[in-house]
Amino acid sequence: MGPGTAWYLAVAGFLFGVGALGVLIRRNPLIVLLSLEIMLNGANLALIAFARHLNNGAGQIFALAVMAVAASEVVVGLGLIVALNRKRVPLDVDRLSSLRG
Amino acid sequence: MIYGAWICLLSPLAAAGLITLAGERISRRGAGYLATLSCFVAFGGAVASFVGLLERAGSQRTVVSTAWTWISGGSYRSGFEVIIDPLSVFMMLIVAGVGALIVGYSIGYMDGDNEERRYFAYMALFVFSMLLLVQGGNLLILLAGWGMVGLSSYLLIGFWHERPSAIAAAKKAFIMNAIGDATMALALFLLIKKAGSVEFFVLGGRYSSTVATLVALGLLGGAVAKSAQLPLQTWLPDAMEGPTPVSALIHAATMVTAGVYLIVRTHSIFESAPHVADLAAGLGAATLLLAGLIALVQVDIKRVIAYSTMSQIGYMFLGVGVGAYANGMFHLMTHAFFKALLFMAAGIVIHALADEQDIRKMGGLRQLMPRTYLAFLIGSLALVGIFPFGGFFSKDSILAAAIDRGAYGYVLWVAGLAGTFLTGLYTFRLLFLVFWGEPSPFVREHFHALKRDVVGVSLAVPVAILAVLSVVGGWIQWAPLWHPIETWLQTVAEPTVSPKSWQEAVSSALALLLGLGGIFLAWLVYGVRRVAVPRFAFTQRVLEHKFYFDELYDALFYQPTVWAAKSLYRWVENPLVDESSNSLGQDTRDLGRLVARAQTGLLRTYALAIASSVAVLAVVFVAVR
Repeated sequence: MGPGTAWYLAVAGFLFGVGALGVLIRRNPLIVLLSLEIMLNGANLALIAFARHLNNGAGQIFALAVMAVAASEVVVGLGLIVALNRKRVPLDVDRLSSLRG
Repeated sequence: MIYGAWICLLSPLAAAGLITLAGERISRRGAGYLATLSCFVAFGGAVASFVGLLERAGSQRTVVSTAWTWISGGSYRSGFEVIIDPLSVFMMLIVAGVGALIVGYSIGYMDGDNEERRYFAYMALFVFSMLLLVQGGNLLILLAGWGMVGLSSYLLIGFWHERPSAIAAAKKAFIMNAIGDATMALALFLLIKKAGSVEFFVLGGRYSSTVATLVALGLLGGAVAKSAQLPLQTWLPDAMEGPTPVSALIHAATMVTAGVYLIVRTHSIFESAPHVADLAAGLGAATLLLAGLIALVQVDIKRVIAYSTMSQIGYMFLGVGVGAYANGMFHLMTHAFFKALLFMAAGIVIHALADEQDIRKMGGLRQLMPRTYLAFLIGSLALVGIFPFGGFFSKDSILAAAIDRGAYGYVLWVAGLAGTFLTGLYTFRLLFLVFWGEPSPFVREHFHALKRDVVGVSLAVPVAILAVLSVVGGWIQWAPLWHPIETWLQTVAEPTVSPKSWQEAVSSALALLLGLGGIFLAWLVYGVRRVAVPRFAFTQRVLEHKFYFDELYDALFYQPTVWAAKSLYRWVENPLVDESSNSLGQDTRDLGRLVARAQTGLLRTYALAIASSVAVLAVVFVAVR
């Protein structure tokens, strides 16, 4: 027997927290995207841990779905970043504030 | 006979519709021919109705033809119907006949105008409206025609819409007429309430004197407005802003005679309200004097003739007011002939002088246009009432009828006789100033004679026909020797006065003498200029301001209305309506600005907001469970 479900959840929470912190405090959109991936993986880990714990496969399937969505999201996000870079827009989320009301 | 009446009514409407719908597919002159043709067809229909009535016995000469039920509700019912009786046929003949001549004259007069098609569509509509008015089989149709005549006159007076003065005159005519329309509508409401119907026969019913007086007053209000009598007379001279044939149409065939027709048509209610009939006669007498005086100082050729129309309609009102219906209608007919003649002859003068209307610039036209001079002379003699021209027969019998009315009648009679003198004076002042003397420099510079082309012929032929009618038209009836018109109209409107032979003789002799006196005075002053034009500064100023009626109405109605509107704007609309909507907008904008501050555009704020909201939600979930 490996470590208990609580450990897995602790690691998942830690990963999610690190990711959220990265999203909130980093200014480079590339890093923000990376942090977002970390958050998603934290959530995936929690899903799989619960699937094992409850002996129910639905969580694993759900994790697969999240991976697919995350992959497409990264494609869009990286595409946007490349487009911004080609337009010589500074890669700084604090300066991309044209939605300001 | 019935078909004739419907053809008479609908053919000008069809022409107006066709010209409007055809647009530019019809040539300008084609529109003129079409409108003229439609009016002649209408005249043919009127003749057919006339012949049809002639074949019937006197008591069966009233036919009502209903096309469909127009309005029905409860026990009230009124159809779209035309009446064919001696009175309506009499009017149909005048309206369609003189109208057709005037529309034909327009082909020449309006030649080269930019919007001829619109003009002829309006003219045909005008003739249709007037025919609807005189043929309407009940008071409601009559009122519909009444309103449409007002509308058509508005359109035609303001025909030259690029002139601000024409637009102002059109609006003035329309508003003055609307006052009359309103009083007429009120009279109809009262009649519907009391009798439940608007057929003509209900007018002869028994009503309390108050009801009869109110209904008669309402109808008189309409008649006074349409016929430009005191106190609603101010629109008529301004209506000269329209093209000259329009003036001829308004003055001779349509519109202003409608008031006289209305009183004759509804005479039974006026007989139940004798004071209102007296009022009508008094207003007529006052108007004929007033208009005659004002005409003495006018300098616009058309305005002088316009005031003479007001004055002559005053005679007709006097006649029908004292109960001499046939005489009033007879004068209406002769007046239609000679007034159309005068206007059209004046139109030729205006045409020949490059649209100049100021008689001070004219003079000496007798040598340049002798035939127009002859036509104008015939019209003037008929207007003054000199034997053997039209006005002599008709005007004098009105005066004779007035004496037969007792003491009040004598007052009217004296006013009418004084009016005859004025008529002679102002008519021949106009004639001498325009046609006598040496050609003025202006005339020499601008005069160009009519050519023998379509324009010249279409101008000259109607004038020639009307000149003949002005001479012979009066001979139809020479009371008391023969009186076919009185016999013809007897079944519709039995006169309440029957002047005796000596009254006819005295009136004729005095009117003739006074008319000749007026002409003689005009000849002394303006013809041979033996006597200098007398100067009375104050009187002249009063007359030139038309007795200050315009100024009075301006001060009484216009200025207070403007003041009320301005103060309402300032104290009610501005603070309540404008300000409240403004501040509503301002408040919404402030609120939006407040909310907009949450939208920083920074990604991290949004992420933080989402994260913290989720955290709060999680706490709430846990706590609630």
